[in-house]
Amino acid sequence: MIGYYISLALRSLRRTPILSALMVAAIAVGVGAAMTTLTLNYMMSRNALADKDDVLYAVQLDNWDPHEAADNPSEMPWEITYKDAISLLRSDIPTYHVAMHRWGGPITLEDSTLRPYTAQARVTSRDFFALFDVSFVYGGTWAGEADNNAVFQVVLNKSTNEKLFNGENSVGRTINFNGAPFTVVGVVEDWHPSPKVHDLNNGDFMKSADIYIPFGLHRVLEIQTWGNTNGWKPEKIESYEDGLGAEYVWVQYWVQLDSAEQRQRYEDFLTGFIQEQKSQGRFPRPLKFGLSKPSEWLVLNEVVDGDDRMLNWLSLAFLLVCLVNAVALLLAKFLRKAPETGVRRALGASRSAVFSQHLVESGCIGLAGGLIGILLTLAGLALIRQLSMGYMDSVASMDWLMMLSAIGLAILSSLLAGLYPAWRISRTNPSIYLKTQ
Amino acid sequence: MLELRPILSALWRHKISALLIALQLGLTLAIVSNASVVIQEREERIARPTGIAEADIVTAHFMPIPKDYDLLEAFRLDMDMIRQLPGVAAATISRAPLAGSGSSGGFHTKPHQEVGSTGAAFFSGDEHFIDALGMKLVAGRNFTPSEIRIMESSSSERPTITIITQQLADTLFPEGNALGKSLYFGGDDNPMEIVGIVERNLGPWPNSSVAGNTVFFPAIMETQWYDYIVRAEPGQRDAVLKLLEEKMAERDAERVIEVKTLTEQKTRYYAGDNTMIKVLTGVVSLLTFIVALGIVGLTVFWITQRQKQIGVRRALGATRTAISRYFLLENLMIAATGVALGTAAAQIFNQFLASEFGQPALPLSTTLVCAFILLAVSLTSALVPALRAANISPAMATRSV
Repeated sequence: MIGYYISLALRSLRRTPILSALMVAAIAVGVGAAMTTLTLNYMMSRNALADKDDVLYAVQLDNWDPHEAADNPSEMPWEITYKDAISLLRSDIPTYHVAMHRWGGPITLEDSTLRPYTAQARVTSRDFFALFDVSFVYGGTWAGEADNNAVFQVVLNKSTNEKLFNGENSVGRTINFNGAPFTVVGVVEDWHPSPKVHDLNNGDFMKSADIYIPFGLHRVLEIQTWGNTNGWKPEKIESYEDGLGAEYVWVQYWVQLDSAEQRQRYEDFLTGFIQEQKSQGRFPRPLKFGLSKPSEWLVLNEVVDGDDRMLNWLSLAFLLVCLVNAVALLLAKFLRKAPETGVRRALGASRSAVFSQHLVESGCIGLAGGLIGILLTLAGLALIRQLSMGYMDSVASMDWLMMLSAIGLAILSSLLAGLYPAWRISRTNPSIYLKTQ
Repeated sequence: MLELRPILSALWRHKISALLIALQLGLTLAIVSNASVVIQEREERIARPTGIAEADIVTAHFMPIPKDYDLLEAFRLDMDMIRQLPGVAAATISRAPLAGSGSSGGFHTKPHQEVGSTGAAFFSGDEHFIDALGMKLVAGRNFTPSEIRIMESSSSERPTITIITQQLADTLFPEGNALGKSLYFGGDDNPMEIVGIVERNLGPWPNSSVAGNTVFFPAIMETQWYDYIVRAEPGQRDAVLKLLEEKMAERDAERVIEVKTLTEQKTRYYAGDNTMIKVLTGVVSLLTFIVALGIVGLTVFWITQRQKQIGVRRALGATRTAISRYFLLENLMIAATGVALGTAAAQIFNQFLASEFGQPALPLSTTLVCAFILLAVSLTSALVPALRAANISPAMATRSV
């Protein structure tokens, strides 16, 4: 029966090519606009750490100004101070813990024609790779002592290893980074989650690090973070050492806690730590800390910003207009066939048969609209990639799930649009048309 | 004269279709007017004067490879070389403004304050920075070469003099006479005397709340990298850019150098706003197009349905104009209803956008302008079918179907 309805629908569409084309165009444009913004929002709210969402936590400590809370929705600074990071790293409760921040500098190779270039680096404690599940191609992470002492070792990502050593096993070789020689101890797969859930302070959709440096090098290299530094307290800072001991926050901190019991113990540890600091005159605000799962962290940091959500609403309103448009056109088209339907009804077609026949016709229009809508979505995303000048490259792309959703959305909306016109036509009174014929 | 009653009774028979058209126009008006107010606000923001000669400026991002690098010597050699280049008007060592990266802090007018600071971005620069950025000194004086100091980034050593923007001067000293008064950074007690005031500088982040509040220190901060800011003679920018890239690598290839125009960096900074403007413009035009198509489709359909009646009217003596006028009036009535609905819907939609996303309020004048345009679009779409309807022959009345 469906096959027969489809062939009827196609015949009917061919009979009114202009009206049919208008309807397909309306649905296609509506779906194209809605899917472009829905895809952007969907890609922006992806969680690269979804697999470990139940065990990873971003740590926040409220060391802020007694007069006013930190200026963000969590009312705590996003990052923690260097000295607190060092203290927290001493805890043996978490399965893994990572203190880290963004850095960078020029890379050179001895006896090489390579022009110096700027590498994006991550200064981090050794658990980074285990905590975030970044797998090694060659070698492994540095030894634990490198997190506290100056050990000039480096982990490269695959692309950097390709660029510097043609992809060979480079463990044991030396690179010059910021003018100092570093020994390669490992090569990891490229890891550029988008959004950059582990570092939401430096461009949510930008690339992540090319190379990884141990956390014990701050004093020797006088490392100044390339990430955000925030402070509230006026302090005399005469030397690099003073800066490390200051209330400035610039270190990102993550822990892995595998069980509820472990999490409870870690919360007790943090409470005890803050109380101890309070007794020494620090942490002037009410005792507060934050442990956010990756999914919560993305929401808290407002990765999908106001503009994106506004566009989402706007494009849904757009789709609504296109639907109203389709309803009006379908109604016009169906009513035009009223005499024909009158004859069919008189020959014994039931109301439900007429209704489903017309609904199938709406569905066909929706399918065609959906297919063209996908093309329009791809064009829309390409336009956004170009306009945003590289900021959106990693999110303005469509996966098969979104393509299927586009067709689904188109068919669903055209069926919705077809409901009233199909019902209306199924109410046709056969007698009027039999009389005039 | 105007056949309003017959139009109304004919419309009543097609009430659902007519309502659908009105609804479309209403929703479109709500979307279009809200989109245009957002577009307008973003465009104004981007077009704000920056206070600097951005169109003529090239920046060279320079990162030395720190291995006993003689920075001061490099600066001297580079600056001497750059200032000699043909087409270069001025050059300095600082950080590029408008590029989305910089430093800011809280400033006070009294020492030892804990609360109530005014946020401002700060730059360090030498005696050439006003000239190199093409800024206008409106009061006081420039820095002199002897006042420029090399400062370590980790030290809390503070300069004793500063130049600030007019906007910051007005904010900190509303009673005027900022010149000669002192500023305090953070809560410290080191006075920095204001020796000069420049007209304007939007700072590193033109979209932030501190945009326009900018402080300049007479210093070169020791950091990992520097920006040479080079202002070219008008029209010479692209030639200077090529030359700069070439000559800097020629002088010392063992360092990272990235040369860019300031316009490019500003465009990059505003990429998000620009995307929003383009996308919204696209939405507005597509939507208007779709609605126009819908109106054409429906008017054509109605006319086909009423061919016989039109023939009868013509046979009874109605002129062609009367027939066209009938359909245009009908369209106008539907469109007016839609626009009236839309004006209300636009306000409701705007309330939602303003409270949820902090978008600007929608003035009635914008809605009215959009409403007027939509009415015109609606009438234009109905025009061609209405004129064609006038061509229907009176003989139509005599046909049976």
